[in-house]
Amino acid sequence: MSEPTITPDLMRISWGPQHPMSGQTRILLDVDGEKVHKIIADLGFTHRGIEKILENRSFLQGIVPIERMVMIDTANIGLGYVMAIEESLGIEVPERAHWIRSLVCELSRISSHLYAFGLQAESTGYFPAVFLWTTTDRTVLLDLMEELTGARFSYNFFLPGGVMKDLTEGFEDRVIEGVQYLRKRFEDYWTAMIENIVFEARCNDVAVLKPEDAIRLGATGPVLRGSGISIDVRKDEPYAAYGDLDFEVITESACDSMARTKVRYREIGQSLNMMEQVANEIPGGPIRTRFPLFTRSKPGEVYSRVETGRGEMGIHMFTAVGMNPYRVKINSPTLRNMYVFERLCELDEMLMADVPVVINSIDPWYLDSDR
Amino acid sequence: MSEAELVEAITTSHAEQIESAEVLRSQRVSVVVKREVFLEVAEALRDEYGFKTPSAAGGLDYPKEERMQMIYYLFNPDSKITLTLRVDLPRDDPTLPTLTGVWEAMSFHEREAHEMFGIEFEGHPNMIPLLMPPDWRGGYPLRKDFKGEAGEE
Repeated sequence: MSEPTITPDLMRISWGPQHPMSGQTRILLDVDGEKVHKIIADLGFTHRGIEKILENRSFLQGIVPIERMVMIDTANIGLGYVMAIEESLGIEVPERAHWIRSLVCELSRISSHLYAFGLQAESTGYFPAVFLWTTTDRTVLLDLMEELTGARFSYNFFLPGGVMKDLTEGFEDRVIEGVQYLRKRFEDYWTAMIENIVFEARCNDVAVLKPEDAIRLGATGPVLRGSGISIDVRKDEPYAAYGDLDFEVITESACDSMARTKVRYREIGQSLNMMEQVANEIPGGPIRTRFPLFTRSKPGEVYSRVETGRGEMGIHMFTAVGMNPYRVKINSPTLRNMYVFERLCELDEMLMADVPVVINSIDPWYLDSDR
Repeated sequence: MSEAELVEAITTSHAEQIESAEVLRSQRVSVVVKREVFLEVAEALRDEYGFKTPSAAGGLDYPKEERMQMIYYLFNPDSKITLTLRVDLPRDDPTLPTLTGVWEAMSFHEREAHEMFGIEFEGHPNMIPLLMPPDWRGGYPLRKDFKGEAGEE
């Protein structure tokens, strides 16, 4: 990046690119003493050209690289791509597969939110223990995923037309056990973190993002809902089994860093309810329809949207006659939220010490914005 | 406003300015606009039709037809409709006015489309590479004729 000029009397601080909190990016901060005047996000350190890679892979092969976008939340990302394939090739999905997909997606979302939550604790500088707690509790979810999909991180579990494997015997009981364990842990998180006076002092009224600004700047996911706007793709445009599952869209009206953290906290509660519901009510039947290995597509286009842990992700897939997609445009949530982050210091007063707190309340994943 | 009503309203009030408008499926609307009056339609979409949220933007290359397309993704937070605003560009002169004056958050996406497709945005306030390295001279990676070899300056 050719660096923009700096106003006299300000000092420019380069934060990163070696892993500032999470992922590789460089944040340039123009500061006057403690006060941040300007933020410049220098993205692209982990650009791998996933959109180009997908053009040169068959539809099925593309499932593997696209999950590399967000390692912590692979199920939701993979589902968006698989849904685009299904819609463009006209493939039906059985009811049971929809429910299993929702279960896996919620497991993945909790795991992603837990990571964000732990980092937020770490960024306030007072609770390194909470990061270890969330990491330990995530193993409960990872063990479930390992049993179901055979992998702890990159599942490649969704196929066009359904899912790879059916639930193992007694899996529903283990899901309910896990849910009960996590619910108990979450009470501890609330008292140890959210209600803690130091955490409140660091997060309350920091980086206020008003609802109209959030909409105008294109914020998405927990950042948008933390500003009190009830937008969630799972509710607005139900996919997988979300039309049948009971959940509410979590919003917080305080619009600050604390509100965004609380949205994630309360969303985990909703996800746990959904997991329980899937375990109790999952319908029987086949888990996938046949998807021919070599499929020729017709010219057309499909735009599929999914709600990932970080917000709305859109996959715009253009097809021509052939075995590969003609072009896949990935609209990633982090790129949208990073623009909001650049503007936040102008919307509300921000100090140097707030920067780690604010950036973790945005919950960026730079591999997602860089693609 | 449903998708069909939206398309009808756009086609009647902006008949001169658009090339086509259609409903792709539920909650998806596509509008292709002429390049010269592109900003007027964008402003109308924001102020009259409620497409307040900019979601993304990206290019598309059709070398055989000698054209490119710039696609803007807009979202209406009330009716939950996603609208794709498209402009067809000739491949030898892919220039259009920037949309950052209407939705400032399009800045990042236009920078990306510039480095990936070579589309020029007139009046963009800060046209520096977003994802590619600053010393990249290998061409435009997402164009269809890109060979994947880094060139020398």
